[in-house]
Order: sequence, then structure tokens, then C-alpha cells
Amino acid sequence: MKRGLWALLLVARASAAQDFAGASPAGSTRVPDGLLDRALPSASPALCAAVSQTRWWGLPGLETRAATASGSFHTWRAALGLSQTGEPELGWTALGLGFGASTARAGAGLRACARRDRDAPFRLVRAFTPGAGVEAGAGAWLLAADGVRVWASAPQVWTSGAAPPLSRPLELGVRAGERNAAWVRLVAPRAGDDGERSLGMSLAVAPLQVWAEARDAPLRGSMGLSAAIASLRVDARVDAHPVLGETVRVALAWVREPRSTP
Amino acid sequence: MSALSLVVVAALSCAPPDRPSVSEIYYDGPGDDTGQEFVELWNDSDSTRSLTGLKLQAGDGAGPGRWTTRWTGGPSDQVRPHARFVIGGAAVSPRPDVVLTLDLQNGPDGLRLLWPDGATEVVGWGVLEFPEYSCGAPAPDVAGGQSLARIPDRSATGSNAGDFHPAEPSPGFANQRTVDAALLRHRTTLEPEQPVPGGTATLKLALTNAGATAWGADDAALRVAGELLAAPVAVNAPAVAPGETTIVSIPLVALREGRGVFAASVHLVGDEAGANDADTLLARVGAGPLAITEIQFHPAAAEGEWVEVRNASREPLELERFKLGDHSGAGGSIEAGAPLAAESLAVLAQDPTALRMAYPGLDGARVRRVSPWAALNNSDDATGLADQVLLAEADGVPVERVGYSASGIAAGVTLERAGDTWRPSPNAGGTPLAPPKPMEPVAGGFRADPRRLDPDGDTVNFAWELPWESANVTLELYDMEGHRQRRLAGPVHSGAHGEQPVTLDALAPGLYLAVLRAESADGAFTRVTPLRVDAQRP
Repeated sequence: MKRGLWALLLVARASAAQDFAGASPAGSTRVPDGLLDRALPSASPALCAAVSQTRWWGLPGLETRAATASGSFHTWRAALGLSQTGEPELGWTALGLGFGASTARAGAGLRACARRDRDAPFRLVRAFTPGAGVEAGAGAWLLAADGVRVWASAPQVWTSGAAPPLSRPLELGVRAGERNAAWVRLVAPRAGDDGERSLGMSLAVAPLQVWAEARDAPLRGSMGLSAAIASLRVDARVDAHPVLGETVRVALAWVREPRSTP
Repeated sequence: MSALSLVVVAALSCAPPDRPSVSEIYYDGPGDDTGQEFVELWNDSDSTRSLTGLKLQAGDGAGPGRWTTRWTGGPSDQVRPHARFVIGGAAVSPRPDVVLTLDLQNGPDGLRLLWPDGATEVVGWGVLEFPEYSCGAPAPDVAGGQSLARIPDRSATGSNAGDFHPAEPSPGFANQRTVDAALLRHRTTLEPEQPVPGGTATLKLALTNAGATAWGADDAALRVAGELLAAPVAVNAPAVAPGETTIVSIPLVALREGRGVFAASVHLVGDEAGANDADTLLARVGAGPLAITEIQFHPAAAEGEWVEVRNASREPLELERFKLGDHSGAGGSIEAGAPLAAESLAVLAQDPTALRMAYPGLDGARVRRVSPWAALNNSDDATGLADQVLLAEADGVPVERVGYSASGIAAGVTLERAGDTWRPSPNAGGTPLAPPKPMEPVAGGFRADPRRLDPDGDTVNFAWELPWESANVTLELYDMEGHRQRRLAGPVHSGAHGEQPVTLDALAPGLYLAVLRAESADGAFTRVTPLRVDAQRP
């Protein structure tokens, strides 16, 4: 069980994303966020259901509420999520799918997300009609050495229709350590910036996991807390920005893992 | 003049030979023409000519045969050799030989001398449809304040267009003198327009050499007198070539407070025309009796524009004595009513009825209509000013001029005088008929309209309310991840209520966060509002 929990927190998560980011610590492959958000499957098989809420930069009219679920069969991983963000005038509803495979030493996945504006009631069929925004991406990770994990995630390799709310380029990262760890993350430049660099660390004080990350452009930070008791897991995360204020995320997950997980 | 010349002139002249001819016509004075119009005849012969039976007729160029006799010469009317005979209104100076109201039209029209023997001379101006109103091509239609003068005085080209040209009016004098220094009328200005008592100012005169002879530096002198001066001022005039005009600046010092006349004159030895040697300027030194205290130039509702004034004198004022306007001049007349008590406020309104509906508690007796209302501009021009509010006395003496910038001022917000400065009113809608009030508590806010933008570019109007009366405001744009994309505006100084239109283009589709950052001595204030740039127009 302890090893399984460690594995959930092992890989550093990509940049703060949008619909299915949850409140997990930066760089996590943890179910179900990792696969849905960045195409990074979890190292260990698990069955999971989670809900999360994010208030972006303290704006009550810009909140994301998401419900996600994931499962596994041997080395295969799959995840599904539904989320809604913002007021009807600006907001959207998103449906996410993730599929991948992983072992204890490597994993790779694909993700897709369809968004539809909230200016009309959401229906599944609308997600795939003209006017919807669709994106698809891929990601992979591997253990380069004992305790050293590298990953690459390109969550928007292909897009079509309405543009996503945030352009998400390729991200590379490396994490050293297990329960107590440090990581470095690089995000490729987008239009209007020169990329992003971040440095993070996490400390485990059972049953808590505390983590913090600093990012540049502009200099800002994130910190979070995760607590796991039996099959329940609670995550909280705060991103602090010198101008925009704070983004607060909370998530509640039910996770069931095989006892024989290596 | 030789016999051959006489023959040539007679052949080309529009005037019958050997009798007085039309030498100058003044039909369009500035403002109301009444009493200013004149017609000048010139006897270029060596003997006195009788005008008995001569008819002066005005022609209406709008239709054929529309001649009306304005004057008929009597037995005593005659012109001495080489002299001029002026028929004109009571306001003409020097006094005409015959005083009457000519009521000439501004063109296209004509004038005719009809002699008892049937000989005629016709002078027409403007674009005439019927040939009877001119001799050859008609003369040009002149601007108000200019006369139509035969230049040179003996010009005889066979057409009105060749003989007559726009000129400074010179009734009773040669149109082209040998020696003539003149001041162009209504061209004298004072800078600053309203100097402070005891202070200095510059009087600017348009000095012209209307003669055929140049004069050198210091040959001519300029003098300025008036009750606003402690003593008359005299300076030497610069050299001016024939036909040239130059602006002469005369410094004035120790100005006396009040309203009065600056009387300027030019003096040149041998000057042949004294009538054009002077110009006057009505001016004010110091503050006027009315002070502009609040300006509503872009009302948010339908209450119309308005300007609040305060009686700054010590006695009741009749507001109808004043005029209101914008940068183009004070042309709006103020509705008559009961005198405004000293230190009282009044509102000069575009639409008093609508204003009273928007502000039901207003004292109707102190809300006066101004007509015509000169619409005040809502956006700045290249000078950084949107417009000016101009208040003047009915005779043109300035009372106050306030220029303002509309930058960053939200619709519905007034500009109000606070001591010696102007500021956006911290209270939405302003305070008509009331002095500035302390700011009502405001939580602060920030909005964008529209919030969904066209990817090809859209203009977004950002509006805000601050918790302070003023602050320096900066607008920035971030993406959802917190990366700053660009500065949108600022820092700009803003009142409690502000707005700023910003054109957003070259933005990738996505969700953005517009950020208002305000800083004042009382603290800092940040507000965020989301925007969305669509991939295609929604």
C-alpha cells in the first residue's frame, strides 16, 4: 500500500492545466488526472472516482467543476471525465478521454478532450458536431535510473474547431526521489512568452504529502497538501500569482488499488 | 492720361466714360450687415461731376430683371475732382456722403449705376446665372468683412472679375494708396486670452502694408491704449513690403483687472488712409463674473449635456448677458430668467426638461436652456484635449475658457472644479446645482464590454470604479496560466469612475484575464475580469 501511494506521487505533473487538472501535486501521474490531463498513465493499476473544484484567480465566475473516473486492466489504463468551467457567456463544458499502458518502469498514453460552449445545453452528440473544440495529445514517462523519472507530455498535439482556453505546448520534466523528492520542469515557448521553468519538491509525513513548486515568468509559486486515509484521498492546492491572486483547487477521490501492486 | 489711353480705357471699361464709376462695394460685414454696407464712387476727372438723377440699383441674381433702386441722386449730390463719394450705412466710418441702408445681397448678385441719359455701369459678384447682372465675368464673392474694390483704382479690363478684388474696406479712400499702413480689423488677439491682474500679456496685431511703397524698420509706430493698461504703449513697427502682412507682438505689463478695450493704431508719415489704421479688442483681465464649476460632456442617460456655473461676482447677474459655446466660439444664447444671486450656482443645459427629469430635485429657476447648444466632444484629438467650454459676455468679452480631456472618464461622469484644478467627479452623475461632495463609498469594480472577442480584433471598453477619488491605473492582459501577454493601457490618471477603450488584435484564441491595477496614496487595488478570444466569430 505504501509503495502504491508513493507511485501515485512519483512523477511530476505538467503545467497547470484546465479541465481535469484536479488538485494533485505538480507532475503527478496519479489517477485519474495524469492520464486525462496530460496523457501520462499511472504506474500502478487502480480503480478511481474523483470530483474536483477549481476557482481560477479568485474569480467566482471562473470556476471549474469536474467529475472523473479511471480504471485499469493489467497494464492498460483508461480514464473518463466531464467538467464545466465558467459562466454561460464565457464558459464551456468538456468531455475528456484517456487511454494508455504502463509498467512499473515506463508508461505512455493518449488523451482527447472535446469542449462545447455553455451558450447551449451540453449533449454528448454536440461534443462532436461542428463548432466544438477538440484536442488530442500524447505523453510518456520512464524510469531512467532508480528513483529518477523523466517524462514528456504534449497534451495538444492536434486541435480542431473552437480553440482551447489555453495553449499547452510540450513539457519535459525529471524527478528525483521517491517519497521525498525534487523535480525540474520545462515548458516550451508559446506565442507571447519564452516558455516556463519550474522547480519543485515534496515531503512525505505519513499520511500527508506536502509539496511546493516555484515557477518563473512571472515568479510565482504553488503549494499543496494531499492526505490519503484508506481508500479516500483529499487534495488541496493553491497557486499564488503576484498580480492575479490565487487559484484554489480541492479534490476528493476514492481510489482502490490491488494489494499485490508491486 | 493720354488721348490714346483714354480711348483704350473707354473701350475696355465697364463704366461709361467721363463720369464717376464704382470703385468699391462692401456688402458683407461681419455678423449683422445693417449699417455697415457702402458703395463708393470715384470721380477720376479734373472737374466736379453731378450725381443728380443717378440711380443706384441693387440686383437680385436669383432671377432676371430683379433690379431695385436703393438711392437716387439729388440736386446737391456731386463729386469733386479726383474725390470719392460714399453711399452707406450709419455704421460706416468715416461718415458717408449719403447715409442710408443699402441692404445689398451677399451674392451672387449685382449693383448698377443708371445715369439719367441711360448709360449704365454694372458690377456683379458671385456665380451669376444671368448676364445682365455683371459686366463680363463677375467678380468673386468675398468673405465677410472684406470689400470688393477696384484695384488698381483705374483698372478697366472689361470685366468685373478683372477690375474688382477682395480688399480691406476703405470707404472714402483710394483702394490702392501710395503710402498706407493698416491694421487688419478683427485680427487683434491677446495671449493669454485672459491674463491675470498685474500680470503680462502679448497683444498680437496684423500689420499690413496696403500701399504701393515699402517702409523701413522704425518708419512706422504702433500704439496701444486702453483702460486695462497703466499707460499707453508705443513700439516701432517692423519694415513691411507692399502687399505684405506681418504679425507684430506687443508686450503688455502691469495689466489692470476688469473688462475693457485695447485700442491699437499704426502711425506712418504720409499715410493716405486713416480709416484702416486702428483696430480694437474687447478683453478681460482677471476672472469673469461667472465661473464654470462643472461640465457634463457625455451624459450616460438622456439628460443632455450641461455646464454648471457660479456667480463669482458680488451682485446678482442676469445670465442672458452671457453666451456659451465650445472651442469654435460662444454662440449659444442663455434663456432669460431671474437674476442669479451672488455665489449661487446655475446649470446651463442642452435640454432642461430632460435634465430636471433625471434630477427631480433641481431648482428649475436655475436651470437655463442654451440654444443653439454646441455639442461637446467626447474623445480627445491630437492635442490631447477633447474640447473647450467657452463662456463669454454677449459682446464677446471672454469670461472663462476651460479645456478638458475625455481620456479615462467614464460615460456619465462629470468634470468638476476642485479649488484650482479640475477632476472627474467621484460621484456618478455629478452634482448639478450643488458643490462637490465627498466621495460616496464604493467597493470598486472592473468590467469589460464585450467579453467575447473577434479573433480579427475588437475594441473592448474597460470601465472601473475605484475606492478612491483618483489613482494611477494600468491595464494588463494575462493568459489563464498567469503569463503576462501585454500592457493594454497606462499608467493613466483616473478618477473614481473611469473607462478606457482598447483595441485588442493579434491575440491567439483562448481565455485571457484583463487586469486593472490602481495605485494611489491610499493603497493599491487590483481587479481581474476574464475575456475570451474566439477561434471564429460566435
